[in-house]
Order: sequence, then C-alpha cells, then structure tokens
Amino acid sequence: MPPAPPPLRADRVSKTFVTGRLRSSILKDLSLEIEAGQLTLISGPSGCGKSTLLAILSGLQGVDSGHVYALGDDMAQLDTHALERFRLKHTGFVFQDFGLFPALNAREQVELPLHYLGLTRAEARARAMQVLDEVGLSSRVQLKPAELSGGEKQRVAIARAIAKEPALLFADEPTSALDAANGTIIIELLHRIAGMHGTTVLCVSHDPRVISHADRVLSMEDGRIVNDHRNVPGPSPKELRE
Amino acid sequence: MVALARKTLLHEWRRFLPAVLAVGFACLLQLLQIAFVLGIFSSASVYITGSTAQLWVGYPGTQSVNFGSPIHEEVEARLLMDPEIRRVESFVWLDADWRGARGEASVFVSGIDTRAGGMLFARVLPATLRELLREPDAVIVDRSDLDKLGVQVGDAATINGRRVRVVAVTRGLRALGGANVVASLDTARRLDPDAATTIGPTYFVAQLKHPDRADAVAARVCCSPAFGPYEVWTAPVFARRAEMYWLLETGAGAGVLFLAVIVFAAGAAISSQALLAAVAGSIREYATLNALGVGIANLRWVVLEQALWVGVAGLLGATGLGGALLLLAREQDVPAVLNVSVTVACMAVALGVAAVSGLAAVRSLRRADPATLLR
Repeated sequence: MPPAPPPLRADRVSKTFVTGRLRSSILKDLSLEIEAGQLTLISGPSGCGKSTLLAILSGLQGVDSGHVYALGDDMAQLDTHALERFRLKHTGFVFQDFGLFPALNAREQVELPLHYLGLTRAEARARAMQVLDEVGLSSRVQLKPAELSGGEKQRVAIARAIAKEPALLFADEPTSALDAANGTIIIELLHRIAGMHGTTVLCVSHDPRVISHADRVLSMEDGRIVNDHRNVPGPSPKELRE
Repeated sequence: MVALARKTLLHEWRRFLPAVLAVGFACLLQLLQIAFVLGIFSSASVYITGSTAQLWVGYPGTQSVNFGSPIHEEVEARLLMDPEIRRVESFVWLDADWRGARGEASVFVSGIDTRAGGMLFARVLPATLRELLREPDAVIVDRSDLDKLGVQVGDAATINGRRVRVVAVTRGLRALGGANVVASLDTARRLDPDAATTIGPTYFVAQLKHPDRADAVAARVCCSPAFGPYEVWTAPVFARRAEMYWLLETGAGAGVLFLAVIVFAAGAAISSQALLAAVAGSIREYATLNALGVGIANLRWVVLEQALWVGVAGLLGATGLGGALLLLAREQDVPAVLNVSVTVACMAVALGVAAVSGLAAVRSLRRADPATLLR
C-alpha cells in the first residue's frame, strides 16, 4: 500500500511583499511536507518568514508562485468562500492574543464556531463541555475571559480550535504571552492533541521551551528552511492512541 | 445559537450607548415634532373633531372652518328632505374682538345649538355646560385662554362692543391664532355686526341614521343649485382638509419634512460612528472567528443584528420618554396629537437609522483579516 500523502505540502512557494518602493522577498522557493499526528515547530529569528509560512500553509494568504496542498486540495484553486468553508471544516487556529469575545463565557466561546458547522445546540454544548474537560477547564466553563488567567484563556482558545475536530491545527506564538508554567502546559497540550487525535499541529514560535516538546523542528532563516530536525521519538502517535 | 450580538451589546453597553442614544433621540425628536405640529393644526379642526356631526355643509371651496361664509337658510330644508338625515343644526362662526377687564384679544365665536343632544362640541362641552349657554350673553372659553382674555369665570367682557359673561370654562377648545368662545346661536347672532343682512348660518351640520353611509349621503345632498351655493363634506374629510390646509399653507409640512431629513441624517451619522467604533473594538475577535472558518457574511449578520438591537433599545427609550413628555404636555394643555400611523412611521424611521448605521458599520469588517493576527 502506498504511504498516505502528507496533510500539508508546500511546493516551491515564494512570497514577496511590496511596501512603497521596497520589495521584500519573504519566502524563497520553499518546499516542505508536514506529517500527521505530530507537533511540528517552525522557529527562527524575527522576520525570517515563519508567520508568513504559517499564513500560507493555513490558507489565510495566497502565494506568488508555487503550490500549497492541504488535505489534498490545491489552496490556489479555492475562492474566498470555499477557503472559509475549508477552514471551518478542517482547520483550527490558536493565536498569541487568544481572540476571545469578552461577552461570552468559556463554554460559549467554544460553542460559537460549532453552530456555524451545523451542530445542534445540544451537540455543540456536549462537544464544548467535552473539550473544555480535555484542556482541564471543566470547572471554569461559566467564566468570562476577564475572570480567567492568561494560561486559562489560551486553553479556552485551544478548546475552541479543537472542538471542530480539525485535521489541521495552526498555532502562532501560543506561549509568548504566558509565564513559564503556563507556557509549558500549553505546549504539552498541543503535543498531546497531535498524539491523541492524530491532528497535524503546526506551531510557529521562537520560545525555546517549545523546542523540546516538538516532534519536529524546522529552523528558518531569511525565507528558507535551514534545518529540519526530528526529536528522539517518544511513543508514536499510534502507540499513544492505543 | 450563542447570542453573540446581544451578549456583546449588553456586556459592552457603554460602547453602544452613543448609538442607542442617537437612534432614541432621532425617534423622540421626530415623534414630538410631529405630535406638536399635528396638535397645533388639529386645533384648526377642533370644531369638527369636537363634534358628533357626520356631515358638514358650508360655502363651496371652504378650506378650513374659519374661512366659512354664510350659506342660505333654505339649505336646511334640502337636508331635512333626505330620508337618511336624522337631525340638522345651524352653526354660526364669526371672527370678533374681545375686550376683557385686563386684556384684548382676537376671538372666534361659535354659535351653537344649546338643545340637549346638540352635535356641536358634544365631545368638549358636557350637557350641564351646554345648558348654561341658554342664558342670554353667556359664553364659555377654554381654561387655558383665561389669562389671554383677562377674565375669570363669572366676569363680564365685551365682544364686538356687546356685553357677554363667562359662565364656565372647559378644555380642548384651544384655537390657532386666537381664542375660541362658545355661545348659543342667539347670543352669537347678537354679537355679529352683519347679522341683519346675513342670509343664514355659516354651516349646517347633520347627523345620519346610518353614520357609515356618510359618503353616499354627502354625495346625494350636495350642491342642489336651487338652494344657493353650498358644498357637503363628511366630518373626516373636512377635518383633514383643514389640517392639510394649515400644514401646507404655513410651510409647517415642509418644515417637518426638512427636520425629519436632518434628524435622520444626524442620527445615522452618530450611531454609525458608534457602531463602527464598536466593531473596530472587536475586530481581532471577528478575525479569529473568520480564521476558524466563520464567513464574513455570517459576521455581517452579527453586526446587523447588533444594529437592530440598538434600534430596538433606542425605540424603547424614545417611547418611554416620549410618552412621559406627551402626558406632561397634555397636563399643561399643550396641544399634542399622536396617531397610530405617525407612531409607526417614527418607529420605522428609528429602525431605518439603525439599519443604515448597521450597513455603514458592516464595511469595517473588511479589516477582520485573520492574516493580520499572525505576528
């Protein structure tokens, strides 16, 4: 049986930004494949293009040349509406500043996208309670963001992202607004999600604590991947599931 | 469904308050303006709306009660010949000069039938007051006109140089540009300097056996040339004609429309700015939702729903405050009239302001680009 195609693949992608007369080439002819069930970390100095790579691989931005394939779909072939639909069904996002609505409690934050996915009220509530329990917040479901700590807010954001049961989970600097203890909790959580659910987790971070928890570390510099390092494997995702 | 729009509105009410106030005040201003203008001009038709007659008969082309000219006395016979007319009364209207102990004024004298069950001013004059008018030279005025006329109940004054006595006051008789004075037909004729040469009363009014057939009867009894020039109107038609005449003649109608446009524009400008600011304040959260695949079209509905709630909140505020102010106005005898169609129109304007503001605020969702969330 041939091996399953990678869930995320970039094929010779380039991206250039123009500011006034200044042209900055952010990604240069970059190719890579990201595997399922792993936490892959993209690290590198500020301005190396790691966030742009995340934006392109997640379909939030287009490429100037090359192709991005996500779950077998060529992202360039999808229009805005189809991309929104793709993201709704297949991708979760975790951002540095959480993006939680101040008016909603933790459970409602998680339920909100589920309604757009077509779940009934009861299904959405049950799913929200289940993932909030998974991130260790089952006793905090009624609290609003103002009543939660930074680490708890990020855990609500992760619960919201994984409640849709996405195949792809993108995280941009998820620990940089958090203290050491909370940062570690978050990165362990992301690692566990990859292992337990078989989710493809792609994380951008310059936080050195994250490196030791990643299954694979891609180091970027000046728009190129300069190092592709796989950490000594612990139990495989399959083993973890078993 | 998580009620994001409503919960955000309640949680961040300070942010939305300017929009609610703008919509509320736009609605309130509109409502009060129209109520007072209608109130003022409804006094031009108080003779009609305060009476129970179904038909009014007067000189052809008369635009408003105060422009009436005498019609021939024999018209009464023509009216009584119609089998569907139950009762006919004369109404004498004249413009006169009042001199009280402490004041002079221009007054409008209404000479009415004082028999029990009389139609003229049946809604503002109780039977006991109507009876008092049978006394020679007795007149009744609106209580809010006492100061203007410089008299109290029981005082004597002169109208067109002839003596009258104020026997009572009532309310709901305020007039446009003067004061209404109600007298009996006999007293009114004595006060008319041209009484000797007049051909008949200024109007006849009639009550029908079947009030719902007023249009048909008015058409049938109208304008027989043998009885001299006269025209017949149903009460609502004549009242509306008087109000419209004043609304258009004085330019008040154009003023109302002009102010309505200004209020709408100002309300929409303020509330759209407040909504824009509220959307901008949540733009990162909206962008996060969009990253998670919630379409911009769905986010637009959230903003429009917020605008609608802003409209509803503004409307409730305006209704409460407007109702209180109109009650206060009524207490102070300030004429204010509000009907269902005007109220509905004002509500529509308020929701229109909210909708326009919502549509303007929706534009700022263009900035909800999830790519900007990546550092």
